[in-house]
Amino acid sequence: MLSVKGLKANVGDEEILRGLDLEVKPGEVHAIMGPNGSGKSTFAHVLSGREGYEVTAGSATLEGTDLFALEPEERARLGLFLAFQYPVELPGVNNMYFLKAALNAIRKSRGEEELDAVSFMRLMKERLKVLHLDDSLLKRPVNFGFSGGEKKRNEIFQMAMLEPKLAILDETDSGLDIDALRIVADGVNALRGPERSMIVVTHYQRLLDYIEPDHVHVLAKGRIIRSGGKELALELEEKGYGWIVDGEAA
Amino acid sequence: MSAATNRPQAAAAEAFAGWLQGLADGSTAGEEQGWLSAERQQAAERVRAQSVPTGKSEEWRYTGLRSLIDQGFVQVDEPLTALTPEDIEEVLVPGLDACRVVLVNGRYSETLSDLGALPRGVRIGSLRAMLASDPEALQGVLTRIAGAGNHVFAALNTAAMQDGLVVLLERAALMERPIEVIHLSVGMDAPRVAQPRHLISLGEGAQAQVIERYVSLGDALYCTNSVLEIALGRDALLTHARVQQESLNAFHITGLYLSQDANSRYAGVNIGLGATWARTDLVTRFSGEHAECDLQGLYLAGDKQLIDYHMDVRHGLPHCRSRERFKGILHGKGRAVFDGLVYVARDAQQTDADMSNRNLILSPNAEVDTKPQLEIYADDVKCSHGTTVGQIEPEALFYLRSRGISAALARRMLCLGFAGEIIDVLGPEALRDYVTEQVGERLERVPLE
Repeated sequence: MLSVKGLKANVGDEEILRGLDLEVKPGEVHAIMGPNGSGKSTFAHVLSGREGYEVTAGSATLEGTDLFALEPEERARLGLFLAFQYPVELPGVNNMYFLKAALNAIRKSRGEEELDAVSFMRLMKERLKVLHLDDSLLKRPVNFGFSGGEKKRNEIFQMAMLEPKLAILDETDSGLDIDALRIVADGVNALRGPERSMIVVTHYQRLLDYIEPDHVHVLAKGRIIRSGGKELALELEEKGYGWIVDGEAA
Repeated sequence: MSAATNRPQAAAAEAFAGWLQGLADGSTAGEEQGWLSAERQQAAERVRAQSVPTGKSEEWRYTGLRSLIDQGFVQVDEPLTALTPEDIEEVLVPGLDACRVVLVNGRYSETLSDLGALPRGVRIGSLRAMLASDPEALQGVLTRIAGAGNHVFAALNTAAMQDGLVVLLERAALMERPIEVIHLSVGMDAPRVAQPRHLISLGEGAQAQVIERYVSLGDALYCTNSVLEIALGRDALLTHARVQQESLNAFHITGLYLSQDANSRYAGVNIGLGATWARTDLVTRFSGEHAECDLQGLYLAGDKQLIDYHMDVRHGLPHCRSRERFKGILHGKGRAVFDGLVYVARDAQQTDADMSNRNLILSPNAEVDTKPQLEIYADDVKCSHGTTVGQIEPEALFYLRSRGISAALARRMLCLGFAGEIIDVLGPEALRDYVTEQVGERLERVPLE
């Protein structure tokens, strides 16, 4: 599904990613953990095409297509989805209108027919049900005035509507209390499937109590320095990052 | 040296004076009314006494008159009567149910207007006709509010007014159906100016909703110099939309003079999309306490366009409230001017005034000159103002694109979101949808920069 090889990227003059390798197969959930400043969010942003990052070496392909040759919207149409750590508030842009525009842009690029208002509403209701969400967020402007939990739920709802092949959840757990965390995690779990891969970027093991990963990677200083199963996350929770990061440095 | 540099200036002044003079001497309505003739002569005198406003005059600092004068606009006295209802179908708002008034080149058209049945106490008609048939209804109202006007074009209008719209609501009259006023301009052989004069007067407790639309057939070259006087009696309520979507060859001047008695409420929304050169002055005076004046606006200016809004709101009495909220989107080489003055006199305690002007600039070549001013002489007031000039947030753009939405559509969505705050105030729904669509179409034609 996703293949990242020797990825190096800069922000300004500073090298943040220093040779990152990652293989994600269809249906797998990978957790990327690491201390602050390790490059976790940079990795998520570089894959999704955010401005301000310069890829200096390496490659990233989604189902064989070179992501770095594409604009952000083209990557999304290919099936990449980024759940933002800080979802952007869009005053005046209605949430439903936004979702319909996004979904139809993606459908159109796949050669599918655009959904009319009725079919769109039907699909929306169905997905809300799957995620156990109500429709109160839909009539409001995108993320505008939303609480932290509402913003994250809105991200998960977008994911449910756009049905990506690969979803990257960038610190989706940050700033959430345990109830909100559970709602978000339940949503993510409901969307797991054999054809959908996920990368869960997180600082804390806590989220992984609710979203069980197939693989756990530790990112430090711009590289993956250790990979393992879900037990690695527990080990990290117990011992902190110091033992691996320092061990690596020594 | 100084003589050489002064010569173009002197020539401009001469051209301006000559042009104004020619217009002020044009044929007029209601000539037989002595009271009006006196007003008009005085106005003509004022026009004669004017020198050409230059860049040094604060009122016209960012809005040059040269391009206007150079057109050599002439006043045409004969009304254009050839149009049929089919001709104006293209400018109608789909699904808008309204009592419709149509003025063609500033002259009231009986053929195209469709008033329907008017409720008791409501009169709608032509200024010219009413001056002939019932001048008493207008005496003491017409020209009272605009007075000498705040610049030469208002005086010019008073001197040369030919026709216009009159809406009179008696005490407690209620006009539930919106009144749609279509100011239609059609190109003529020579560049022509129309100087319509409109009056809306609501008696005590009366209520109405007026939608004014300035439209053109084709890309006509013309100038409209209009004055609208609005008198709101005690407790009266007027909802007023002005939607300007004229040809990009058109010149437009409007002076809107508003007088509000105690506890009256005026809610106005100005949408400025069209004309190559547009200047609007919104002037408010309160004659009673607890009156509320709400002036909102949205303007879009692109290549070959200048849109200028001047506001002058004077709080002379306590307990009144005023709001000015204008938003602008500038693209290409578009230019806009926002100049808002809120004056609070010493006795106007408990005034509540807020003024804001926010601009979104889509191109490095666009320009906005914005100047909100508060002049406060009372010591117990709540007044604020704010101005912003910004660009589309890259984060917002990226967020939309990361969902598969193209850069062009993402930008349009963000612009419409920005504009929506003003458009959403518009009623009825058919008008709101129509303006949303017009603004969207306009943004669709803006190239990415």
